[in-house]
Amino acid sequence: MSAVEAAPRIESRSNRGSATWMVVPALVLLIGFFALPYLTIITMSLREASTRAVYGEGFTLAHYTSALRDFYIWGILGRTLLIGATVTVISLLLGYPVAYHLAKSRSRWTSLLYIFVLSPLLVGLVVRTFAWMIILSNNGVANQALQAVGLIDFPLQLMNNSLGVTIALTHVFLPFIILPLLGNLQAISPDLAMASRSLGASRMRTFWKVTLPLSMPGIQAGTILVFVLSISAYVTPAMLGGTGGRTMSVLVVQYLVDNFRWPAGAALAIIMAAVAVIFVGLYLRLTARAMRRLP
Amino acid sequence: MTALTIDRINKRYGNLHILKDISIPIGQGEFVSLLGPSGCGKTTTLRCIAGFERPDTGRILFGERDVTRALPEQRDIGMVFQSYALFPHMTVAENLSFGLEVRKVAPADRQRRIADVLAMVRLEGYDKRYPRELSGGQQQRVALARALVIEPSVLLLDEPLANLDATLRDEMRFFIRDLQQRVGITSIYVTHDQAEAMVMSDKIVVMSAGTISQFGSPREIYERPASQSVAGFIGRSNTIGGKIAEALGQDSYKVETPCGSIGATGPAGLSRGADVKIMIRPENINTRSQAAAAGQGAGEGGHSDNVLSGSVVNSVYQGSANQLAVKLGSGDRVIVDVNGRNPLEVGEQVALRFAARDTWLLAS
Repeated sequence: MSAVEAAPRIESRSNRGSATWMVVPALVLLIGFFALPYLTIITMSLREASTRAVYGEGFTLAHYTSALRDFYIWGILGRTLLIGATVTVISLLLGYPVAYHLAKSRSRWTSLLYIFVLSPLLVGLVVRTFAWMIILSNNGVANQALQAVGLIDFPLQLMNNSLGVTIALTHVFLPFIILPLLGNLQAISPDLAMASRSLGASRMRTFWKVTLPLSMPGIQAGTILVFVLSISAYVTPAMLGGTGGRTMSVLVVQYLVDNFRWPAGAALAIIMAAVAVIFVGLYLRLTARAMRRLP
Repeated sequence: MTALTIDRINKRYGNLHILKDISIPIGQGEFVSLLGPSGCGKTTTLRCIAGFERPDTGRILFGERDVTRALPEQRDIGMVFQSYALFPHMTVAENLSFGLEVRKVAPADRQRRIADVLAMVRLEGYDKRYPRELSGGQQQRVALARALVIEPSVLLLDEPLANLDATLRDEMRFFIRDLQQRVGITSIYVTHDQAEAMVMSDKIVVMSAGTISQFGSPREIYERPASQSVAGFIGRSNTIGGKIAEALGQDSYKVETPCGSIGATGPAGLSRGADVKIMIRPENINTRSQAAAAGQGAGEGGHSDNVLSGSVVNSVYQGSANQLAVKLGSGDRVIVDVNGRNPLEVGEQVALRFAARDTWLLAS
């Protein structure tokens, strides 16, 4: 091999060496605050229940088997996933046009739209959820407005069910799909759309054949973020969900804090995490097919 | 017959008047370059032709058809971009197929046309590659093929060679020009590179600040520039200031300058006493050392030859030629090309000889 060919290899190796060191702080953080607690929860979920301590002496799979035999838990799991999927789809449908507009627009009002997009993140979680309660409750703003207009005679059930949770979660997580999409769309050269139009493709065809396929990485990143955040959200479903909109994370906290059933709660948490990993894994495989041609 | 007519188009962005009454007639099969520095309006003009910008006033005609209000996809154009703009998620064949599918060309026909055009740009066997697997030059050839395969009525090229390195750029100039002539397609080429415009074009539109400075063949623009700015932008030139002393013929004049009286060619109708600049290209000046010139006498040149004397102040070796800077008696500096082996030293007195027909008068 010639020296010319060898040179870049040496350089890349030394680069890799320095990059390894830069990973260490994050790695320490991940192991210390993520892997270790997870291991603790896994061991806890395998312990016997106890009335005198957090958990008993022996090991058992009973928490898993009884949870998996419980239709109530299956129902809550299903609802959690359904809420997650609905929030994800709605945020994609609402967020894509916003990201598209932000990526294309050169107007000075764009920065105002940016602030609007980020606004859900600028307000504290609890305050924001209270605001939603004011809007969605039986004698809240939404129902009063609808009744005043005469569209309804009796208040609609807008909270204490999945609907309220879905609405509020979509609001919170919209930025999480807009921002990755925006980055992705901005990286697509506007020349590509012009080339497509010059070849005779309409705006619509250009979008479906050029822009959309090239924005798949942003769609993938954004949807996974929103889905994972939605199914693991706690404050919003706890405050707005009531019993009709109870999700897995609310149930887990109820087991741990209210019922003091730490091992059973830990098992539920692990089941939830496993389901999330499976769903995200399947989704990655599915979307990887759509992205295999991208550079 | 004009294949493309740009008829008094104007374009403003807010207070900026980007295009001022631009009119360009382009003949069938002609290769026309829009040449000028950045911000002169050449790209905006191209985008108006493509349909990505709409002129505020004026018309654009493809043949007889008014396309001023037509969308880009309705215009039947082929476009090549500086960035190549190949679809990165499609293979070469799919990139080429894109425009044919829009036009609903039958699959068998599509394949034949793709194979033909790939042969034309000498990229046979590359159809399954992705753009990222090709070099810059190859990508630009694919982009060219993609624009040509749909057999558009006009080919628009937006600085297609700007991203290539110098050697490849030279090669591609001739490649594109040759291909354009074989296909016989009317082409509009935007560039800021005057050498590129010179070697490729049938006609050049020199633009500056939203107006057309000159529209003509490369020869006209080089030898008969319409203004000092055109002369300065195209190639190297020397200018000597003076006043018209008398008109010798329709286009020949005697000009009084601080270095003496000079015979020069210029546009008809320059009046006596008018301030002018005499433009002379460096390669049109003959240089002799003063001693050699005295020995040979003046008999060698024609009677129209002008002779100026000066001293060499600088000499730069450029391989094929030496570029001399000569200071005239009047204080003007003149750049002269001399044979690379010519032994002229800095400080030496020289005689500069040039024919009146090699000069051109510019209004000053």
